[in-house]
Amino acid sequence: MIVLTALAPRADFPLLAAHPALHYLDSAATSQKPRVVLDALTGFYETANANPHRGAYALSATATDAYHEARATVARFLGVADSDCLIFTRGTTESVNLVAATWGAANVHAGDEIVITALEHHANFVTWQQLAKRTGAVLRIVELTHTQEIDLELLRGAVNAKTRLVAITHVSNAVGAITPLDEVVAIVRSQSAAVLFVDGAQGAPHLPVSFDTMGADFYAFSGHKMLGPMGIGGLIGRRALLEAMPPFLFGGDMIEWVHDFDSTWNVLPYKFEAGTPNAADAVGLAAAVRYLEALDMTRVRAHEVSLLESAEVRLRELPGCTVYGPPPSRRSGVISFSLDDVHPHDLATILDQHGVCVRAGHHCAQPLMRRLGVNSTARASFYVYSEQPDVDALCSALAAAQSMFANA
Amino acid sequence: MSEHVVVRRADVTSASLSAMYQETLLAHHRAPHNRRAIADATHGASRKNPLCGDALDLALRVDDGMVRDAAFQGRGCSIAVASASMLTDVLPGLSVREALGLADEVASMLTEAAPGAALPQALDALRGVAPFPGRHGCASMPWLALRDALHTRP
Repeated sequence: MIVLTALAPRADFPLLAAHPALHYLDSAATSQKPRVVLDALTGFYETANANPHRGAYALSATATDAYHEARATVARFLGVADSDCLIFTRGTTESVNLVAATWGAANVHAGDEIVITALEHHANFVTWQQLAKRTGAVLRIVELTHTQEIDLELLRGAVNAKTRLVAITHVSNAVGAITPLDEVVAIVRSQSAAVLFVDGAQGAPHLPVSFDTMGADFYAFSGHKMLGPMGIGGLIGRRALLEAMPPFLFGGDMIEWVHDFDSTWNVLPYKFEAGTPNAADAVGLAAAVRYLEALDMTRVRAHEVSLLESAEVRLRELPGCTVYGPPPSRRSGVISFSLDDVHPHDLATILDQHGVCVRAGHHCAQPLMRRLGVNSTARASFYVYSEQPDVDALCSALAAAQSMFANA
Repeated sequence: MSEHVVVRRADVTSASLSAMYQETLLAHHRAPHNRRAIADATHGASRKNPLCGDALDLALRVDDGMVRDAAFQGRGCSIAVASASMLTDVLPGLSVREALGLADEVASMLTEAAPGAALPQALDALRGVAPFPGRHGCASMPWLALRDALHTRP
């Protein structure tokens, strides 16, 4: 039997190192942070802390440089040559809302059509649902195959000349299904002039991403799911779109000239970064992506597939266990499942007692849960520090939960 | 943060896990009492837990200020279902005031870990939930529905 060792040593992650018996299988919710990220945060505050873009003194210039370098690093990691087109936000949710509030408000009108899918996280679902309600646009929801993948035939049928926007997830947070973006791009480009928005919250941490060759118009991501700090993420967009969009938030840094009764806006990316930027967390995120680059995203993906395959075989051996989503080759590092006789909440509590952290709930994907006919599922998710003992602990804890609820 | 994990793990042992999932509670979960409708219900309320999507409907028949019948329907985890089942066992024969008082006792037993809370023996199994804050919402759901039901009509 092949024993899977972690791709990244647990010793690099202070929380995991301090708790050798902890099996953290909730990385799809948020990842653990390596020491280099924590050091980068502290390092910024200890050596470079000043308000970027403000002072004419050397320390402010140091802070500005650190912030710019962070942007360049993250842009390189995600395959964005023009780093001005990477806007730092608080995360994916803010990025989706930014596009809806600016591009959406300016470009979506009554009678236009917005296409989303039944697989979306609430952030990439409700935001467009509400934009449609506000503007009188038609919301089309593409249904899924029996393996909870986006049905491309139905997508083909949903996209037409009236479609203004297609918003689609790169990877499902709830079941891990990977969207074949090449095919989505081909459908959207050949059948419409729609803007294509991709929710990359679960894509950027787990798959190699190259925005410039992807063919999408927008790509949103969250730092905290990819070893970075909470509160930092981004929106990548095509320059022409970003330049034509009205600003999102008003304030410092985003303006050029402020007249009494009108103002003009700063250039990209600052136009969309009102107020003091979150430079420290951007620096932390840059440290995270350097760590991931050193691991190599192709190997990150391969590592997760190995863990998934190992876990899936054993989960399917458990009586009454249903595993959702496509086979591991088309699934990111998530295994979503339910046991016939054990409610996911009971399961999470019992697993917790075995040191196994899994998510139980609707995973912010109530539309998907409705279609699965369940209220909630249990979800174990893997990342670079996951290893065979995590899978073993999950499986033996599941068996313990089943015996607790069995017969008697 | 790491301290938090250590402290909690020491507090919540596998012994307290068995204490929560004790036989009484599991028996209520496997074969819930009064999981049915009440044709001539006078009061009712629904409660949902948006975190897990679970939902319980509680129905009561009250006359002369006394609860005569209590029943529930819906889906939930073992804790929510067992708690609802126990509720429907103990309620009949109580006055509305006593029933509301009992809901308060359950709440304080859970959240303030009040060991002396005046719970009837039939609800004793709910004490095992107190050390699990993540599950208080499950145990509370039917009792919150009870408060809603008794406060909405007459």
